[in-house]
Amino acid sequence: MTSLLATTLPSRFRWTDTLAWLPWIISAGIVGYAFLSGGYVVTLVVFALIYAVFVIGLNIFMGFTNQVSFGQNAFAAISGYTSAVLTTAYEWTTLPAIAVGVALAVLCAFLIGYPTLRLKGHYLAMGTLAIGLITYEISVEWSSVTQGYMGISGIPPLGIGAYEVTSDRGQLALLVVIVLILTFMSARIRTSRLGRAFFAVAGSEDAARALGVDVARYKLASFILSAACAALAGSLFVHVVGFVSPEVFGLHMVILSFTMLYVGGIGTVAGPLLGALIVSLLPDTFRAFKDYQDLAYGAVLILLLIYAPRGLAALFDRYVPAKKVGGAP
Amino acid sequence: MGDLSFVLQILVSGLGVGCVYGLIGIGFCVIYNASGIVNFAQGAFVMLGGMITHALLQRAGLPLPLAAAISIVLVAALGVVVERVVVRPLWNRQATMFVMILATLAAQIVIERLTLIVAGDQPRTLPVFTDLPPIRIGTIAIGYQFLWIVGGSLTIVTLLALFFRMTNTGKAMRACAINREAASLLGIPVSRMLALSFALSAALGAIAGILITPTQYTAFNVGVPFAISGFIAAIVGGFGRPFGAFLGGLMLGLVQAIAVVSLGAGLKNVAALSVLLVFLFFRPSGLLGTSK
Repeated sequence: MTSLLATTLPSRFRWTDTLAWLPWIISAGIVGYAFLSGGYVVTLVVFALIYAVFVIGLNIFMGFTNQVSFGQNAFAAISGYTSAVLTTAYEWTTLPAIAVGVALAVLCAFLIGYPTLRLKGHYLAMGTLAIGLITYEISVEWSSVTQGYMGISGIPPLGIGAYEVTSDRGQLALLVVIVLILTFMSARIRTSRLGRAFFAVAGSEDAARALGVDVARYKLASFILSAACAALAGSLFVHVVGFVSPEVFGLHMVILSFTMLYVGGIGTVAGPLLGALIVSLLPDTFRAFKDYQDLAYGAVLILLLIYAPRGLAALFDRYVPAKKVGGAP
Repeated sequence: MGDLSFVLQILVSGLGVGCVYGLIGIGFCVIYNASGIVNFAQGAFVMLGGMITHALLQRAGLPLPLAAAISIVLVAALGVVVERVVVRPLWNRQATMFVMILATLAAQIVIERLTLIVAGDQPRTLPVFTDLPPIRIGTIAIGYQFLWIVGGSLTIVTLLALFFRMTNTGKAMRACAINREAASLLGIPVSRMLALSFALSAALGAIAGILITPTQYTAFNVGVPFAISGFIAAIVGGFGRPFGAFLGGLMLGLVQAIAVVSLGAGLKNVAALSVLLVFLFFRPSGLLGTSK
C-alpha cells in the first residue's frame, strides 16, 4: 500500500529542491525589506551589493578554480581611482570612466597574472598579497594624482549621460540589477565548458592537463574575470560614496571579502550575495566602531574556517558534490 | 667624498634593519620547518614585542632589561595561544594550506585590532639601550643601538644554531623538518614540536621588535610590513633555511636603504615588495636554495 502511494507521488519532488532556493529567498527578503523600509538599511544593503560584486569575482577565482589571491583589492583600487580621477580632474561622465577603469584593471590583471599565476601555494598567496600592498602604497605615495591620504572627493554619482542615479532606492535598484546579471553569469560559467575547465584545474592541475585543459590559460581567464568584478566593484564604490582614499581598498577590504565568501559558501553561486548581505547586516551594532568591526570579521572568519568551512549556502546547495577538505597543509 | 660617507652611513643603517628582518625571517622558517605552515601572523609578534615592552616600561615602570624579558615571554606565550586556538584545530581537521594562511592572516588582524583598542593608535618608541654618543669611524657614525641590533641578532643566530645542533629538542625539530611522519614514528612528539616552534618563532619576533623599536617607532599597524619583510628575507634565503633567511634579511635591508636614498623614503615598502616579486617570478628557490 505504501509502496503504491510512493509510486503515485511525483517521484522527482524532494525537499532539498526547495532548500536550494532558500539562499535566494533570504537574499531577496533582505533586499526587499531594505527597499520598503528605506533609510539607513538601504545604505547598508547598497554597500553589501557592491561587495557582492567583488566577492562574486573572488568566488570565480577561488571557489571555482581553487586558486588564492589576497590582492584583488589592487584591481578595485586601480579601477576606482581611474574612475575618480577621470570624472573629477578630467570631467568625464561616469559610464566611460568606469569602462576605462575596468579596462585598465583588466589589462593590469593580464600583465600581472601571467607571471604571478605560475606561483603555487604560499608563494602565490604572498605574491598576490604583495600586489595588493604595492597598489596601496602607490595610492598613498602618488599624491599628485591620488591626493594621498586626503583622498579624492566630489566624485559624481552613477548615471548615464545627463541622467544620474542619486536616490538611495535608485542606487539600490541599479545594484540589484548588476548583481543579478553577474550572479547569472557566474551560474552560467559554472555549468559551461569554461566552468568545467575551472573545476578541472581546481581538482588537480596535473589531471586537468592530462585531459587536455590548458591550465595556465584557464587560470589566467579565471583571474581576469575575477579582477574585472573587483574592478567594477571598485568603480561602483567610488561613484556611490563620492569619495575615495587609500584606506577604502586596504587590507580591510581583503579580510571583509574573505569573511563574506566564507559565510556565504565558497564555490556556490548564491554564496557571494548571501554572504555579503549577512556580513554587512550582522555587525550593524558595531557600525560606529570600525576597529571592532575588523576584530569581529577576523574572529568570525577564524571560527568559520574551523567549524563551517563550506559556509551557509553550501548547506542548501545539493549540486556541489561534497568537496573533500583534504591533503596535508 | 661626502657623498660616499653618506652612502656608507645609509648602508650601515640598512644592515641594522636587515638583521631585524633576518630574525623575523628565521621566525617564519622555524614554524615552516616544524609544520609546513607559513604563519602570516608573524608580524603581530614583532609589533607586540615593542608595544608590550613600552607598556611595561612606561606604565609599570620596570627597568628596560626586565620589561624586555617579560615581554618576550608573554609574546612567546601568545604564540602558543595562536597555535592552540587557531592553528591546532585547523591542523586536526587537515585544512588546506590556503585555509591555514587565511586563518593566520585573520589572527594577525584580530591581534592588531585588539592592540588598537587596548593601546590606541599613538606610535610609541623605546629609549635606546645605551645612551651614549655614536662611535665615529672616519666620517661614519655608528650608534650604540646599531651595535645592540647586530650583536643581539648574531648572538641569537649563534644560540639557535647551537640549539638545533646540540640539544635533543633542537634535533627533534630538525627531524620534523626533514620528515614529519618518520619523526613521529621515532617517537618524537610532533604536535608538541608545533607548539614549541610557535613559541620560539614568536619570541624571535618579539626580540626583533624590541631591538628595532628604539631606532624607529612601533604602533598597532607595523606588523604586516615587518612580516612581509621577514617573509621576503626567508624567500631570498631559500624558504626553510634559517641562516639563508638571515642573509636574505641583510640583503633586503641594504636594498631598502639604497631605495630610500635613490627613490625617497615613501617608496621603501614598494622597493621591498618589488624585491619579493622579482624573486618569486625569477628565482623562487632563493639565492641559496634548491627548488622546493
